[in-house]
This record gives sequence, structure tokens and C-alpha cells, in this order.
Amino acid sequence: MALARAAGQAGPGAALALLWLLVRAAAPPAVCAPGDSGCLRLSVADLFDRVIRHSGRIHSLSTALCAELENRFPARDNELGKPARRCPTAGMLTPNGKEYAQKIPREELTYVILKLLHAWKEPLSHFNQHMEHHQELPDDSLSKAKQISKMVHELETGIEKVTEKMQSMGIISNSLHGMASSEAAGFSSTNEANMMSDSDFIHCFKRDSNKVQCYLKILKCRIMPENSC
Amino acid sequence: MDLRHLLFTLALVCANDSLSSSDDLLRWPQISKCRSPELETFSCYWTDGNLYNLTAPGTIQLLYMKRNDEDWKECPDYITAGENSCYFNTSYTSIWIPYCVKLANKDEVFDEKCFSVDEIVLPDPPVHLNWTLLNTSQTGIHGDIQVRWDPPPTADVQKGWITLEYELQYKEVNETKWKELEPRLSTMVPLYSLKMGRDYEIRVRSRQRTSEKFGEFSEILYVSFSQAGVEFVHCAEEIEFPWFLVVIFGACGLAVTVILILLSKQPRLKMLIFPPVPVPKIKGIDPDLLKKGKLDEVNSILASHDSYKTQLYNDDLWVEFIELDIDDSDEKNRVSDTDRLLSDDRLKSHSCLGAKDDDSGRASCCEPDIPETDFSASDTCDAISDIDQFKKVTDKEDLLCLDRKDDESLPTLADADAQQPHTNTQSDRSESWPPFADSRDSASPSVHTQLSNQNSLTNTDFYAQVSDITPAGSVVLSPGQKSKVGRAQCEGCTEQSFAMDSAYFCEADVKKCIAVTSQEEDEPHVQEQSCNEDAYFTTESLTTAGIGLGASTAETPSLEMPVPDYTSIHIVHSPQGLVLNATALPVPEKEFNMSCGYVSTDQLNKIMP
Repeated sequence: MALARAAGQAGPGAALALLWLLVRAAAPPAVCAPGDSGCLRLSVADLFDRVIRHSGRIHSLSTALCAELENRFPARDNELGKPARRCPTAGMLTPNGKEYAQKIPREELTYVILKLLHAWKEPLSHFNQHMEHHQELPDDSLSKAKQISKMVHELETGIEKVTEKMQSMGIISNSLHGMASSEAAGFSSTNEANMMSDSDFIHCFKRDSNKVQCYLKILKCRIMPENSC
Repeated sequence: MDLRHLLFTLALVCANDSLSSSDDLLRWPQISKCRSPELETFSCYWTDGNLYNLTAPGTIQLLYMKRNDEDWKECPDYITAGENSCYFNTSYTSIWIPYCVKLANKDEVFDEKCFSVDEIVLPDPPVHLNWTLLNTSQTGIHGDIQVRWDPPPTADVQKGWITLEYELQYKEVNETKWKELEPRLSTMVPLYSLKMGRDYEIRVRSRQRTSEKFGEFSEILYVSFSQAGVEFVHCAEEIEFPWFLVVIFGACGLAVTVILILLSKQPRLKMLIFPPVPVPKIKGIDPDLLKKGKLDEVNSILASHDSYKTQLYNDDLWVEFIELDIDDSDEKNRVSDTDRLLSDDRLKSHSCLGAKDDDSGRASCCEPDIPETDFSASDTCDAISDIDQFKKVTDKEDLLCLDRKDDESLPTLADADAQQPHTNTQSDRSESWPPFADSRDSASPSVHTQLSNQNSLTNTDFYAQVSDITPAGSVVLSPGQKSKVGRAQCEGCTEQSFAMDSAYFCEADVKKCIAVTSQEEDEPHVQEQSCNEDAYFTTESLTTAGIGLGASTAETPSLEMPVPDYTSIHIVHSPQGLVLNATALPVPEKEFNMSCGYVSTDQLNKIMP
């Protein structure tokens, strides 16, 4: 009874305190506390700039590598007629124009980006192993291929982090995970990749890296509310 | 239909053959280019051939097919992009998907092209170029401006769908070559240090960031500072780098440096820059030595002239020999006349006296040179030129080949004797190397050997005036002192004492001494020889004495040998010859009359073992 009286007297304060604690618990835990000197807080825009720059570098590297490989193995002109030209991600549905990229939901766009990057990880590692056995290729090309593979990993990790941040900020919904688990990876088998020539393989990747870069830019534009994307 | 088909095929075949040869011939319609300005639409352009004349003016169609399509579709828009073009708007455009377009008539395919839209991006030129003045230099001659422009309106740069790079080019109005700046992403560029008095033209073009091809250039922007109302100083033409001044000052500096070097007391520096021109001199001989009269050193030095290979001259410890080039072993036996005079073993067949004196400044060994101080050189010349002659026993022309004579047996001496009248007659006419002639003629083999063996003899310096040069190349010395020879010979070694009133020895005396000591049979001849009371010795006289000593018949001719006015004796170390090696010989050094660098026969006598 005495306890109840004390609780009743302290009720409003305690309730407030409890409420405050609950609110704090409900709020997403900040990775960095504000005012923490060792922690650099980046805005979503900054993060997007970073990943866009990273994807731009990947695209430049793949363009250069594609040019080098095409110099060594001249590509045929007819793209349609070559069955070997089928890219590993040919089966994936991706927006093929700016309007489509603007129309689809941001979550889907984000998911497409992540799916693309994920689909290229394994073929790129296979490609690296394959290139290393190729003694006639110059070291320059080999190092580029290795760097591309590494950067794709980094980009995927970075975009995942950006996605988390966006989700945490409520910019995009959390339905992304559902989409990822439901759909299988767009790239199923590695057999097709093995049939392709090196220059065709890198040509496909160059195109997909350009896709990723453009999608990221559109996504950034769409994320920022001030732009009329 | 079939006929037309056939005709058309024939026309095509003909056109094919002559396609590249001339413009007048048939040209096929070709797809010239396909480009997308903004990565959202694209257009393809083609050129008409001149097949219209042959075929019916059928419509040329552009058909396209995407990768996933099954059939060719016709171009959706022939108008928007102009004539002979096909425009694909956004609904028909799929980026990152391979397209193939083909240009075809009803039946024939003229051209086909496959591409992907993201690869054919060629942006439109930037628009709205303008410039503003940033600042001017203090002199008012130069100024900085900032050029800005807008991206092409078609490219959606704002949303970031496409990223463009820009390249700016500028030049002065009356120049022909454009200056380029690095491609950059920003749409404003500062231009520094433009001349305010000039007008400039500026143009910009753009390209997609990761591609290599640029789009078209924008309109030219004219920059004129006068129109902007900016005050500027119209300065004269800039003087380019003053090469003229640089050359002038450089030459002056160089001249000053040269003069300083010349005037400087640093001999090494001077010699480095202006190396001294070698003057004729005997290698190793310092003219001061001769002046000072140091006989030993001079003798040693001169002796070395006669041999090219020091090692060939044995056991002469005090004689220095300079290594000279010797081709054959016989050259090592080239010794001075005195050698030849006093020894006969060393003198080989062809070897004439003398070795090349590389330092003497003479041009060729085979030129009959007039030696100044080095008889050996003349020996060389004579020797080399007369090698053949020397080899012949009968060759008596070479006055200087003592060696050869030494090698020869007595008959040579006889020949020498026979030669002597010749030389004697010649001697009247001219002055030559009497000692050599005499020595050759009259030297006994033993004497010659002694001479050759005695390296010191090679150091003897004989001075004589050359009166003539024989065709064979031998030098004929002046005869003058014949009487001296005889007088010298009169003294004879038997006297064992020589008048030392003069600083010079009597060659004949020396020879006599040598002959007496070395040769058993030479004695009488020595004494028969006339003594040379004169102040000078001649190698000739010595030679003659030697020869007379060694040869039985050598006495009189030698007396007739012309005796030069002066001579010097190279004391040759030889067991049989003139030996002045104080170290090798028991004769105390002080007994040598070194007053003028000459040794008395008395001393020589003492030296003789």
C-alpha cells in the first residue's frame, strides 16, 4: 500500500520517464552519437555521391579493359547473331530507359541495383581465375580485372549500407528484404559465362556497370525531395 | 520481275567491282552514322547512292530489330531527324539492348549495322557561352576571364541520367591553331593571361564521360576586350627571347674566359685548354742536359733512341732505354755508330743503326732525313730505306749501317775499304755522317760488335754536317776532318795517354785503344791511322779507327774519311769498346774527363779490359 501510494505520487514523473525510455528504445540505435568526434556522420546524399563515384570508376575500368580485350580479340560486328554474346544477366528484367527507371518504385530500383551487383560477383571471380591462367594477357588487364572484382564487392557493400540508411530513415520501406529472398538470383548458371569470350564477357559487364551507374543517379535524384526527378 | 531482278543484280555486281575506284561509279546507300544525343533517343542517318538511275526509284527502308525481336521492323519516324534519317523516340529506344538496323530496298539489303544505344552517345554542343572578366594584370597587358556555358538542353544532366565532359578550345583571332584545355566536368572555365590587346575565339564541345568521341562544337564565342570597355594598354609586340643578346654576351664571356686562361699562371690549365704543339725533340732528352754537359744522362738517353726494346739490350744497367716500336728482332740490334764501331757481334744483316725516334718530329722513317742531334734517326731512315742495300754486301752507299758491316766478315770490311775511296771522294764534296760511313766501311766486326754491344756507344752523339744525300738514301757527311781522324789515330792506344788539352777525344785514339784491347790483329792498323789532333772526335774517325783496327785493309781509307768539325762520343759499354760505365768498370770515375761531356781516350784505355 505504501508502495502504491509512492508509485501514485511518482506516477506522472515515472510515467514520463518510462515513456522516454521506451521512445528511446524504439528509436533506431544511432551508429554514431551526435557530437562524437571520432565518428563522421554522412548524409544520405554524401553516401550516394560516394557510391555513384565508385560505380563511375567501375564503369571506367571496365570500359578500358573492354577496349584492351577487343584490341587483342577483335569483336565481330553483328551482335545479334552471336549466341555466345549472351550476357550472364540477360535474363534479368531491368529498366531500359530513363522513364522506366523513374517510374518503378525506389525500392525496386534499389533492389535491381543490388541484384545486378550480386549477380556479377561470382562470374567476375571465375573470370579472374580464368584470366590468370591466360598467360598471353598483359599484367595491366589482369590487374584491372582484379580491381573490378574487388570494387564490385565494395560497391555492393556500400549500396547495402546506403539502403539500410534509407530504410532507417524511412525513405524506402523495408519490403526490400522480402523481394530479395523471394526472387532467385538473376544469373543462374556459370556455363554460359564459360562459353563466352573474354572480350564479350567484359562487354556485358561494361554495359551492366553503366546501368548501375545510371540507376544510382536516378535513385539519388529520386531520394532527394528537392529534385524533380 | 525476274529480268529486273537480274538487271539489278548485274548492276550491283558492276557497282561492286568499281565501288572504290571512282566517284562517278555507282555508290550504294550507306548508313553513315547512328547517334544518340542524350541516351534517351537515337537517330540513324544514311546516304543515298546513285543507283536511282539504274533501278526503279524504290523506297529505301530502314529496318531495325532488337535482340529479343523475331522480325525486322520498319523505322517509326523518317521525318523528325531530317532527310535520309530515321528517328527513334524514347518509346522505341531501349538502352543497353543491342539493336541492328539495315538499309534495304524491297529485295536488297544495302547496309547493316549493329550497336547498342549506350555506345553511340554523341551529345549536342553546349549553349549560351559567355565570358566575364576576372581581373587584369597591373600592367594592363594581360587579363583573366571566366567562360561559362550551359550543357546541351537535350541532355538530362540535372537528373544525372547522363554525365558530360566538356572541352574548351580557344585561340587568337588571327591564329590558325586552337589551344585545347583538359576535358572537365564543370561548365565554367577560367582562362588566364589573355592578351588584352587581342581578340579571341572560344568554342566548347562535350562528350559522355566514359566515351571517347566528342560531339559537335558549339558556336564560337568572340572575346574582345575593347568592346567590354576595359582599359588596356596596347603594347608593342612582345620581344621574343633575346637570342641576339644571349649570343653576344656568350661570345664576350667566352672571350674573356679564354684571355684569362691564357694570361693565367696556371700552366696545367693552360695546357689543358691549349695543349702545346710538340716541337721536334728527342724523346727523353732535355736540352738543358746537353747544355749542362751531363754526359751520363745524355748518353743514356741517346742510347735509348737506338733501341726500341729495352730488354733487348742486355745488362746495361746505367743506360736507360726507351721502349720503342720494333717490328722485328733485328731492329734491336740497331745501335749507334759507336756501337757498330766498337762491336761486331751485334750488327746483324740488315739492321742499320738507329731506331725510330718517335719524338724527333720526323715524318717518315723512310725519308732521308737530316738529323739534327740524333744520328740514330738518320740511321733509321737510311737503314730502312737501304735495308736491301745493306743486305747486299756490296752496298756501300749507306754510310750509316754499321751493323750490317759488322755482321759481315772481313770481306765486308774489304768492301768497306773499297767504298772508302768513294766516300772519301764524296767527302770532299759534302759533309755527311763520316763516322757512319767510315765505321761501316772500315769497322772490324769485332769492333762493330763491341760497338753494338756497348750500349753506351749508342749514346754517342755525333755531330756532322750532311753534305749530300745519296740516291740510295744514305747521308753523306762532310768530309772535313779527315785529317783529324788520322791525327787522332796517330796517337794510338799504345801511348796510353792522350793529350787532354782539349776537351774532346780523338776518335782514332779511341779506336786504337779499342782495337788494341779487343782485337789482336787490329793494332797495326790503328797505329797507322793518322791521328787526329783536332779538338773533335768524329765517329767517323772512331769508326775508321775501329774498322782499321779490325780489318787488315782498313787503315788508309779510313784516314781519308772526312772528319766532321765536331762530334761527340757516346760511350758504349762494351767489353771491347769504349766503356765509360763507371760502375761496371774499375776505372774510377774521377779519371774521366767530363769537362765537356767527353771522355778521353786515356780514360777509355783504362776502361778497356
